[in-house]
Amino acid sequence: MRPSEFEYHKADSLEQALALLQEFGDEGRPIAGGQSLVPMMNLRLARPAHLVDINGLGLDTIEKKDGVIRIGALVRHERYLAEPLIIDNFPAFIDGVRAIGHPTIRRNGTIGGSLAHADPTAELPLLCMLHDGEIIAASAGGERRLPATRFFEGAYMTVLEAGEMIVAVELPVPPASSSGAFVEMAERRGDFAIAACGVTLEHARGRVTRAAVACSGAGQTAMRAPQLEEALEGLELAHPDAAAAIAAFTETLNPPDDHSASADYRRALVGQLTEQALATACSRAMEAS
Amino acid sequence: MIEITLEVNGETRRLSVESRRLLADVLRQEFNLSGVHIGCAHGACGCCTVHLDGKPRLSCLTFAAQCDGKSVRTVESVGGVGADHPLQKAFRSEHGLQCGYCTPGFIMTLIPFVEEMTAERRMPDEEEIREAMSGNICRCTGYQGIVEAVRKVIGENLEEGAQA
Repeated sequence: MRPSEFEYHKADSLEQALALLQEFGDEGRPIAGGQSLVPMMNLRLARPAHLVDINGLGLDTIEKKDGVIRIGALVRHERYLAEPLIIDNFPAFIDGVRAIGHPTIRRNGTIGGSLAHADPTAELPLLCMLHDGEIIAASAGGERRLPATRFFEGAYMTVLEAGEMIVAVELPVPPASSSGAFVEMAERRGDFAIAACGVTLEHARGRVTRAAVACSGAGQTAMRAPQLEEALEGLELAHPDAAAAIAAFTETLNPPDDHSASADYRRALVGQLTEQALATACSRAMEAS
Repeated sequence: MIEITLEVNGETRRLSVESRRLLADVLRQEFNLSGVHIGCAHGACGCCTVHLDGKPRLSCLTFAAQCDGKSVRTVESVGGVGADHPLQKAFRSEHGLQCGYCTPGFIMTLIPFVEEMTAERRMPDEEEIREAMSGNICRCTGYQGIVEAVRKVIGENLEEGAQA
């Protein structure tokens, strides 16, 4: 199919983009890489009356300052794979980026676009939650800082308001003795996942001192697993057997039951992926220390 | 309507397009480049891959209005009517195509990959080749012939480089 009619506006500055988005309200959408929005428009699941092209705005730096890594909204996915600030600090993030779509999508898609699109099993929403990310949204009225864990309201739904646009994401720099991994299962390479799990660990003297776990495929959005995270504290890196704690976590899940997978299958899959991600994160931690 | 200037396969033209027109449709209808195939029109099949300023891009996920001042290459700029680019020849000899609908997309996706591997002077393993072409769907070949074609052309390039 082809998109319904709209007016195209190329923004030359952030101020101009925000002014246009404010003017258009619910009828306006920013467009960057177009890798999520244009499919939705071609299928007429999205019918914005105005598109504001933000590709010319810059917003594409990755920089470290004041204990955070700040990623501009227009950073394309493939950039992370060659970016030392990400490679050195966020191994789970790198695993996840490799699983995003395929090379052409990774070259064009942006982090702002992926977060705003909010596919329930997309990698970047999960990764931003896992890494305690904050999403910075701007509007003509100013900026809001939104924790990733409170940004997603449901499948394809976020707390972004009309006239608002993501301008950056900030991830706190983890301590040196940390590790992580991400694993997902999709029907075909590059498809959206059926389920995925990311784990990060901080460790000392061969044991986990702090863990974060985020998974998708278990609900309408990715989610953190606070009880499991607590249960993982003290785990020996050399014997990462957390089967009981993981089972206690997956029992609480109420995943969707549909044509691609049953709820039971998804629950079991989330458990398996969590075990795998945890094992990889532990062995990476051992290699590094 | 939006006024844009497009440079397509060496020809620069100014044209007026409706905002919602996809680059894929403009290339097919205004430039008569029927090698730009449209499979799914939502970014899942890779058939419509072209080079935008030198890099593979899905022309079905791109509005022509966004391409003002940009340079586009389609499969027509590669190997001409005889389809005699080494990668196209390898697709023929290795059974990398049957019906041919997906072929232009595969060629445009894989040319930069072949060039990159040739520049790095290395033969990618099968996993890498399959990852490089993972955004393109083929319903005839089962992909093995395409993997062989990529391997063959990189092998030829490496051999040539070794002799030079």
